[in-house]
Amino acid sequence: MVKSAAEKHSHFDTIQGRRRALNIINWILLAAGSLLVLSPLWWMVITSVKTMQEVMTYPPTFWPESWNWSNYAKTWEAAPFDLYTINTLTITILVVIGNVFVNSFIAYGFAKVPFKGRNALFAIVLSTMMIPGFVTLIPQYVLFAKLQWLNTYYPLVVPAFFGSAFNIFLLRQFYMTIPDELIEAAKMEGASHFWIWWKIGLPLTKPALATVAIFSFNGAWNDFLGPLLYVNDESLYTLQLGLQVFKGQMSTQWNYLMAGSLLVLLPVIVLFFFFQKYFIQGINLQSGGK
Amino acid sequence: MRHLKWLSVLFIAVLVLSGCNGFTKGDSAKKDKQAEGEDGKVVLDFWTFWGSEIRRPVVEKIVEDFNKSQDKIEVKHTFVPWGDIWTKELASIAAGSPPDVVINDINATALRGEKKQAENLSKYLEKDDISGNFYEELWNATLYEGDSYGIPFNTDTRVLFYNKDAFKEAGLDPEQPPKTWDELWEFAEKLDVKNGDKYDRMGFYPLFGAGTDVWMLNADKVNFIDENDEVKINTPEKLDTLKWLKSWHDKYGDNNINSWQSQMESQQGNPFFSGDLGMLVQQPTFFTQIRDYAPDLNFGVALLPEKEPGNGNTSWGGGFVAEIPYGAKHPDESWEFIKYLTDKEAQEYWAVKNFDNVANKEAAETAAESDEFSEDGKMVYGLAVEAMPHTMLTPTPVVAPDFPTLINPEFDNVYLGKKTPEQALEDAEKKVQKLIDQNK
Amino acid sequence: MAGRKRFNYKTREGLQGYLFILPWIIGFLVFTAGPLLFSFAASFTNYNITSQMDFIGLKNYEKLFADDQLFWTSLYNTLYFVVFSVPITTVGAIVLSALLNRDIPGMRFFRTVYYLPAVLSGVGVYLLWMQLLEPGTGLVNTVLAWFGIAGPNWLFDPDWAKPALIFMKLWSVGGGMLLYLASMQGISKSLYEAAEIDGANAWQQFIRITVPMITPVIFFDVVTSLIGGFQIFQEAYVMSNGEGGPVNSLLFYNLYMWKKAFEAFDMGYAMAMSWILFIIVFVLTIINLKLAPKWVHYEGGGK
Repeated sequence: MVKSAAEKHSHFDTIQGRRRALNIINWILLAAGSLLVLSPLWWMVITSVKTMQEVMTYPPTFWPESWNWSNYAKTWEAAPFDLYTINTLTITILVVIGNVFVNSFIAYGFAKVPFKGRNALFAIVLSTMMIPGFVTLIPQYVLFAKLQWLNTYYPLVVPAFFGSAFNIFLLRQFYMTIPDELIEAAKMEGASHFWIWWKIGLPLTKPALATVAIFSFNGAWNDFLGPLLYVNDESLYTLQLGLQVFKGQMSTQWNYLMAGSLLVLLPVIVLFFFFQKYFIQGINLQSGGK
Repeated sequence: MRHLKWLSVLFIAVLVLSGCNGFTKGDSAKKDKQAEGEDGKVVLDFWTFWGSEIRRPVVEKIVEDFNKSQDKIEVKHTFVPWGDIWTKELASIAAGSPPDVVINDINATALRGEKKQAENLSKYLEKDDISGNFYEELWNATLYEGDSYGIPFNTDTRVLFYNKDAFKEAGLDPEQPPKTWDELWEFAEKLDVKNGDKYDRMGFYPLFGAGTDVWMLNADKVNFIDENDEVKINTPEKLDTLKWLKSWHDKYGDNNINSWQSQMESQQGNPFFSGDLGMLVQQPTFFTQIRDYAPDLNFGVALLPEKEPGNGNTSWGGGFVAEIPYGAKHPDESWEFIKYLTDKEAQEYWAVKNFDNVANKEAAETAAESDEFSEDGKMVYGLAVEAMPHTMLTPTPVVAPDFPTLINPEFDNVYLGKKTPEQALEDAEKKVQKLIDQNK
Repeated sequence: MAGRKRFNYKTREGLQGYLFILPWIIGFLVFTAGPLLFSFAASFTNYNITSQMDFIGLKNYEKLFADDQLFWTSLYNTLYFVVFSVPITTVGAIVLSALLNRDIPGMRFFRTVYYLPAVLSGVGVYLLWMQLLEPGTGLVNTVLAWFGIAGPNWLFDPDWAKPALIFMKLWSVGGGMLLYLASMQGISKSLYEAAEIDGANAWQQFIRITVPMITPVIFFDVVTSLIGGFQIFQEAYVMSNGEGGPVNSLLFYNLYMWKKAFEAFDMGYAMAMSWILFIIVFVLTIINLKLAPKWVHYEGGGK
């Protein structure tokens, strides 16, 4: 049965109206949630500008008596943070590059190339995530010592070029959603899997790659235990190690620690804010009809 | 692949910026290989967790002075974050490439000796016996089967801080702090200011700043596992203490205690600073916090009160030793440095600059007279020195190093009203005994 | 003839497959296999890291099951955490990403806000939460009090300590949110339009289109958070000062293992514990993998 033009039109109107109402509810929910999510950060911000005397006041104040923005300058001077930033950036960028390309390559193999023992090997990939890090900590340290890699960034960077279980698994899941027909068609035309990965796989999994990039950036940027164990010279220390100078055995310089944490956080936030479009770029095509 | 180009540019930029720092061998590794520095000096790696703006300059000045004092050894100080420093030390010992001197927890020194994590220092002590320089209790904690595995560096104890203004307000003599457990209770009652279910001022709660174990030591001077590896948990004295502590808990109630306790545990805002807490057990270094964060507070200090007159003001402490990790390359030179570090001059400097208790008796006593301390500072430091002979340590028992995980929940259960003190101590005793039997 | 050619192609393709995973195989053999094998072998010894490593057969394992006084407590705590935190954070992340996957003003800002907590990490955050969860004057209970709710004693109450941690985990679901958001990019717009024309409301669209299409990532999220949940350690370590919380309510399996390894230096025993945990998690993961075909929908038709 064919609906009349008027009926169709009103149906379309209700859809539009419903969308608008939904968007408003959606917005309100997100805004309310933001307040909840941001309140701990608010706490960090106000602590970072308090004097230590005010930090130690009981009960705590929710609005600082004075805003000492100079705490940030003092924090930055308390340790060679310029150097630490460069060090951290070096490690992080290398780890991100390794993670994005190598894991994507490996994941494609697990998802789209049939070979003998694939499932068993994949089970081993997953298994490597299941052993708690600190029982392998000592033997791993001994291994890197034997390789003469102590006090260098090699233990932090090189493994990133040989795949990580978490990222392999993640990217595999995304490759699994690429239709097999697409790959079969390319194979019919004589394309090798390598070519298919490079020309079809990589572009199609861009949102997932962006996610891996962000996760890896975050992980390497915030890594504490790795640099702690493998780097000996303070000139090779990273930001997370640098922040530890504010945390003593008995007392903590909360204002500096919070200021430092926020400063360290800043590049990650900025990066995320601008990087979003790479993996959410499809979004405008999908939702919100005109 | 526009992004790829962009990325590689960034990548190269970073590498150039960093000058490939971190991909060539770092300084200390180079020196390690050559085993000596520029002018033929032996280079020692010295790890501490003292990175704060107060402590770091002090330890580095001591290192500098040592380096200048002779021409054979050069010490290089490295800050490694608190707590994690020992995980790293352990890994480096396992890999056979440890640093030369590390500051480590005094209470577990014997355990580290037994496990061969630290070098036996006996052969050096035969040559220069410095054991008499330190408080006896500290020295004994470094011994495993009669041999020392670390030299005491700094230490602490627990003393009673009290608010003199609050004392006056409550009609108490501000120059007469409580001397016994009964007086503590009596004074606390007077200091309490109740406001409905809550307190505007709490007089005193013994478990703020000290554990159940501290009060048990205060009462009977016997560790949970004594020096003969016998379990001494379910004893009449400890039962008395637990009942006494429980009565304090009942007096103030869960909510008040938790709220204040968590504030103190999170190392922020202390109700003692604002006068909301009348008395508090703390380490003497707590004075530096009062000085910096509550300069107007009118306070006094006293020895930990005794259970009853004549029982003794036993207190509890800990501290750190300087040790040579097992397998370190230059033990002879390290020993020279440790000797310097724990000798009077360096110790006194550390004590005065940091307002910290040191292990060297003579240094501690001289520091107490230092002109660099304020009146209050002298008062607190003097009392701390006075408290040291009454201070006991709780060395980690080699037969059951992780026993506190078994007994702490039992104490918790008592305070929560889920177990009677009698039952809890009986259970705790059984569990610890079982752990010891298992480890045999 | 044709058969042989097919076989040849399959072999060649198989070789390509190994080539693809070669980096992982090398990395596994060089960096991971050794330490893993070592920890497995050492679990049959009294290895203490520095001075002893004698073969003692199955003694560590026997002791764990028969005699250990905290094994079951720590396992219970960990299971409790996994059972609640995995579903709660998974559902939380999905709902959040659905809300964030719309084209309305300020979306970039909102996404950044919700992702923020996931970026914050480390000891500082846990200390921050100790402040926020402080029963008397902390932010959480202060806010609850505005609504007339008397907040619990959180980390000081053995019944509330674990929920406090789960609560904290929920705060940082931003990481999971990101995964789902990335996955939702792959859903074709036409599916939603067709549903809308058919009169499906937002909820129905979510259940019938969005959820099935993101099942591959849900599967990923469930498997990895299960694995991660069993390894909970640092939160509890920091927030209980390494003690395990009131009445050991925060003594998670890995915290207990850590104490055995680095406080008692009974590394062989800790390694035995880790392999028990491995078996538990491995079995659960295999069950997950076996159940997956029933509910995970791969558009690619992969199995």
